[in-house]
Amino acid sequence: MDIVGKRRIFLTISIVLATLSVIVLGTSGLNLGIDFTSGTTVTYQFDGGDPGAADVVEALAKSGHPGAVVQALGDAQYFIRTDDLGNSGLNAVNDEIAKLDGAPARVLDTTSVGASVAEDTVSNAITAVIVAAIFVMLYIMYAFRSVPNSYKYAFAAVVALMHDVVIVLGAFAVLGIAINAEVNAIFIVGILTVIGYSVNDTIVIFDRIRENVTLAPGRDFRTTVNLSINESITRSLGTSITTMTVIIAMLLFGGASLRDFLIVLLAGVMVGTYSSIFVAAQVLVLWERRGFLPWRRVTPTNS
Amino acid sequence: MSRSRGLILIAILVVISVVVLAISEVSVLGFTRGGDSPLGLTLGLDLEGGTHLVYNVVPEDGREPTREDMEGVRNIIDRRVNEFGVSEASVQLLGGGVDSVADRVLVQIPGQTGSAITLNFGADTVSTEVLEAFFHDELGRTDAEVSQNENLSLTVQLDDIRAEVIDADGVVITPSEADAWRDAIIAHYPVALQVSYVLPQVTPPVEGDDNSVDAAPAEDEVTLPTLAEVEAAFASVDRSDADVDEVTGADGLYAILMYGLDIKSTDANGNPIVSEDKKIFDALDQIGLVQFASMQGVLTQWTLGGGVQEAKNVIGTTAQLEFRYRECGDEFALSDDIPWPPNGLTQDEWALERCSNPAYFTESETEIDPADLDDAFPAISQGAFANPIVTLVFNDDGAKAFFDVTDRVSRHQDRLAIYLDGTELVAPGVSQGGIAGGRAIIEGGDFTTESVRTIAIQLRSGALPVGLELIQERNVDAVLGKDSLQKSLIAGGVGMILLLIFMIAYYKIPGLVASIALIAYSIMLLGIFKMIPVTLTLSGAAAVILSLGFAVDANVLIAERTKEELRSGRSLLAAITAGFERAWPSIRDGNMSTIIVAVVLFWFGDRFSTSVMQGFALTLAIGVLLSMFTAFFASRLLLRLIASSGFGNNPNLYVPVRDQNEPSESATGGNS
Repeated sequence: MDIVGKRRIFLTISIVLATLSVIVLGTSGLNLGIDFTSGTTVTYQFDGGDPGAADVVEALAKSGHPGAVVQALGDAQYFIRTDDLGNSGLNAVNDEIAKLDGAPARVLDTTSVGASVAEDTVSNAITAVIVAAIFVMLYIMYAFRSVPNSYKYAFAAVVALMHDVVIVLGAFAVLGIAINAEVNAIFIVGILTVIGYSVNDTIVIFDRIRENVTLAPGRDFRTTVNLSINESITRSLGTSITTMTVIIAMLLFGGASLRDFLIVLLAGVMVGTYSSIFVAAQVLVLWERRGFLPWRRVTPTNS
Repeated sequence: MSRSRGLILIAILVVISVVVLAISEVSVLGFTRGGDSPLGLTLGLDLEGGTHLVYNVVPEDGREPTREDMEGVRNIIDRRVNEFGVSEASVQLLGGGVDSVADRVLVQIPGQTGSAITLNFGADTVSTEVLEAFFHDELGRTDAEVSQNENLSLTVQLDDIRAEVIDADGVVITPSEADAWRDAIIAHYPVALQVSYVLPQVTPPVEGDDNSVDAAPAEDEVTLPTLAEVEAAFASVDRSDADVDEVTGADGLYAILMYGLDIKSTDANGNPIVSEDKKIFDALDQIGLVQFASMQGVLTQWTLGGGVQEAKNVIGTTAQLEFRYRECGDEFALSDDIPWPPNGLTQDEWALERCSNPAYFTESETEIDPADLDDAFPAISQGAFANPIVTLVFNDDGAKAFFDVTDRVSRHQDRLAIYLDGTELVAPGVSQGGIAGGRAIIEGGDFTTESVRTIAIQLRSGALPVGLELIQERNVDAVLGKDSLQKSLIAGGVGMILLLIFMIAYYKIPGLVASIALIAYSIMLLGIFKMIPVTLTLSGAAAVILSLGFAVDANVLIAERTKEELRSGRSLLAAITAGFERAWPSIRDGNMSTIIVAVVLFWFGDRFSTSVMQGFALTLAIGVLLSMFTAFFASRLLLRLIASSGFGNNPNLYVPVRDQNEPSESATGGNS
């Protein structure tokens, strides 16, 4: 399979997906949960039947929260998000909820986040991702010190990593519009998991390239990369399929609390596998041939 | 040789892990791990249910909190949470970086679904069964469970208690439903009082001084109060319902039985009122000289606990340090007529009891303002014996008040009782006159280096002018937690089985080896989680999935490389060795970069007001390290072992299914 030769197709797909993600993120943005915006969420379980979402919305409006987000989770469970309620506020909501059909309602889960925490969460998350990326780059430069220009490998791995993060964020923004999926603290964990997976997957391919470059230093770099991808593609697919098997099983049998997280993970594994083969390795080839700067290309390509 | 050694090591670790997991509570060398949870693992509050509170620490004078402040705050919250009756609550500082001091406190209270009331009638008055029956039958709360604590107080455990509603100014709008229960209990259980009168010690009238005006009324007063007088005293405080009896065989001794005696000293909004027992004793004092009075079966304690609301009330208030004057019972009899010490105690017992049994001493406020306490620190005494002591340092205002109080304490052989949040910290006597200069030491026979340190921190924190601001709160119902846990376990199990089927069907022998390695890996991972212990949360479960993915990946890499080496014409054993050597650098580098991500996350984790990040990072790092360890020892050595046995020496069993179906490719025998 001549994957390197078809790199334009793959890179175009990636660029289109990444651009679409940036557009979605820029326009509608992520559906931010209270970890980022401050406020209170409550999950109610109605023990006496399902009152219907409209009644729950009305009950919240009566207790002074007309702008509350109400989401039916199924099984007479409702997820509610409002501005910061505080204790007396929550009691007022409870009083109205208790009047609905389907009462008594149990509070399964409440979370309140103040504004100062919410601000910090965003900046801390971004800082953590950037610091992690820098350290991973440094490690790759060290691990690949035996091949020439190891910094290029580090850079390409980080390009693939950013690619994955942007596309997963974009996919989640779409989910936010479609099924009201919310970004919360565990979502950040999901993104970090994706980073871990993406880097690991990229390194396996790079390791093959490193090995083949060392075995035959004189060979055309394009051929070496193409050979390495072909040699490791079964492994990449094998690992993704097995990991996805576990994630899909958890999606099907696990509880609702992990659902959004698992969707992130599933998207991340798919994008991560794709980017290792079709982005990270191709960035290396492009750079080797100075593809970024067309006027400085050393060898004109004819494939 | 080395290969069997590696395998034996893994086998031993797996066996140890199985044993560790099978025994729900493990105690080794003083460390205790495990408990009632599944496999004895430590569960996070999203799996167990519980409350997670984050407070901002705000010093009242607007400066940044210091490490000292934070230590004090942590200590004070720790103590409050423990007092609140919550076991295993964790209090940790958040937000500290390399160059900055933590400024947040995270309080995690696990498994706190229900609420509890702790109440005290005094010893042997109401049994657990009787109170439980009262809750079930009279109050209609069949979920109530009553147990007795070490200090003889009773704890009622309930599924929930409707909390009071407080408006922004702290005024109670709707009282907690528990208030009505309190009233019902007070009305239902009788209180037994005893009061004993003695004749006052009258100076015998001096001979020839018969025109003294004082003598005549003194003659009249030399009678003990009558039954009617005692009844009248009760009537004067609107308690004519009290059943007063004269105890036969002892003059001036009355036994009173009454219902509905409430001794609380604050009203619904926390404002002080004169408690009813005080009114009664004042009335009884009016009619004669009381030698002793006792009260049995009165509800002395009523503490709401368990609910989130109560937890927040307990944690969020400013610490209250108090210096109180403790007037102990008289050391010697005031007159020869009164049998002394009281209640048949010996003089030795009395010496111990008079200052320590609340029945025999009274306390009053002092002029010492706790804010005047500049410092308190642990030290070692200078005398012949190096005993641990606590040193107190007051500022000038405090020093003066401290001198006055200690002078009085010293003269009367009384005590200076120091309280934090209403609990006695220490109640020393004063040995040689008033203490001037504002510096004092407290020593005690039972002080240890550890206890003086704690007392010093508590004294300091009590004088600490910091406020706590609740900035984040999360409560998870235990039912939801249990549900999440159960579903995650089922899902994990199903995923694992699918994974094993896929591996064996596709990779055959290497797949089988990978499956065995993965099972061993999972068992060891759980064993390690239990013994460290790692708190298992939903995000931790995510890290387990990821590390499981890496463990699979290592095996897939080895299998793929082995296949290639076989194709290039090597013998089976040589192919396995070479395949592992080729696979190892990518296993190592891939896992190392993941560990780097985990370390960065752990480092940043405590800047987030949630333990999610750090739990994830720790679980991931342990999982990845263990997966490298398992791949290095188990997978490789197991492959070689099987290959050298008769069962697994057919090279075809090492080539994945797909590649066999492509004869053209396998016929070329490799592709380089």
